[in-house]
Amino acid sequence: MKTGIGVFIAAFAALGASWAGFVLAPALQLGGTKVTTVLNSTDAYPVQRPGEAALGLQVYRANGCAACHTQQVQQDGTSFEVVLTGAGKDPVSVSNLAAGLKLTGLTKEAADAAAKSLADAGGKTETHLSGTGADISRGWGSRHSVAVDFLYDAPVQPGSLRAGPDLTNIGARAADANWQLVHLYAPRAIVKDSTMPSFAYLFEVRPATGSAEALKLPAGFAAPAGSEVVPTPAAKQLAAYLLSLHADAPLYEAPYSQLAKP
Amino acid sequence: MSEDNQKNCGGNSPGEPAATRSNAPMWIIVATLTLLFLGGVYFDRHSGWFNPRVYAPYQSADQLEAYQPKSGAAAAFAKGKGVYESVCGICHGADGLGKPGMAPPLAGSEWVITKGYNRLSHVPLEGLNGAISVEGKDWTMAMAAMGAALPDDDLAAVLTYIRGSWGNKAGEVTGDEIKKIRADLGKNPAPATSDQLKAMPE
Repeated sequence: MKTGIGVFIAAFAALGASWAGFVLAPALQLGGTKVTTVLNSTDAYPVQRPGEAALGLQVYRANGCAACHTQQVQQDGTSFEVVLTGAGKDPVSVSNLAAGLKLTGLTKEAADAAAKSLADAGGKTETHLSGTGADISRGWGSRHSVAVDFLYDAPVQPGSLRAGPDLTNIGARAADANWQLVHLYAPRAIVKDSTMPSFAYLFEVRPATGSAEALKLPAGFAAPAGSEVVPTPAAKQLAAYLLSLHADAPLYEAPYSQLAKP
Repeated sequence: MSEDNQKNCGGNSPGEPAATRSNAPMWIIVATLTLLFLGGVYFDRHSGWFNPRVYAPYQSADQLEAYQPKSGAAAAFAKGKGVYESVCGICHGADGLGKPGMAPPLAGSEWVITKGYNRLSHVPLEGLNGAISVEGKDWTMAMAAMGAALPDDDLAAVLTYIRGSWGNKAGEVTGDEIKKIRADLGKNPAPATSDQLKAMPE
């Protein structure tokens, strides 16, 4: 075969190029990801999940939750808002000027220009940045997900299909262990038209003992009279994991800022 | 059958087609180079040059840096609050009122609401030894040089926060000034005493 060496080199180059692109470049780019700090603070981010929640990741994985739920928020763009925080020596003209300017939903350039014109008039301003996009307007997060969000997850569960809602911040949206457990046991007890399967096999239905762990179920989903539904350790671990899902801190690579709460 | 033909076919039976070479059409070359060029432009504009911190919708490290929320004093103040609560607040209290037997109050302290911040800056940079009188009470517990390990900007931010919170209304502290003060102190300065601090300009 006269062209054998040529075919070998071509095939090697093709596979080598895709290996370099899909394996080598990401490893060089993100392989050194380490703990960072929350923007404008010294708080470490991310923090290790508590032990029960770390075990819950394996329950999440074993039950194939990632087949229907993603853990990645997308962001299409940014939006700036200029807030007047001080009116200076001539409050009337500054507030008149502010009333005549567009101060929300701005580009960076427009926000800088508005802040400058207010500052020139003697006012004090703060400029706030927020993310925009379908996921953010659904309330799934305030910023796009970044690699460091997954630092302590092994394996990571980013998911790729959204039969159910994104879970990046479910621990913040439903910060109640009982809500999580009832929802796992009987999804339609909480969301009427939910298509999520019931994970009843993570719970034990047993003769009532008055246990404090027994689920408080709404009528129609309650256990038969004289019995109670209690979570198994796996269900408790999964609930702890879901409660630990909260990847919403502003970071250097995913900045946003909101008005300080008074 | 000519001899030529036999050679081309590797000596196989006559009439079989032979592989020949021809030039690639010019349009394929042009199209490939155009795609390479457009790919290069796209990469240049969107990749951030493999910078691990640049994600869409940001396009470059410079843009990301420019988009960091900083409203001057407000951002420094927010940062100062974070540093204070993790470093200073454990002893001085998140409310700045101090803790009896441990650390004196910072709210309204005559050591904090000074005109300049030279004297105040020396406390976290050097630490403090011996008794110090704050708001009429003596405090004896020594303070380690808690600020020595903080970056200049963080220390400036936390001092700005202390001087502007809980009713304190002293001015801002800049990182450049802290850098100067730190350079004058040298490495591992001895803890200051109350009298040494009083001898310094405010």
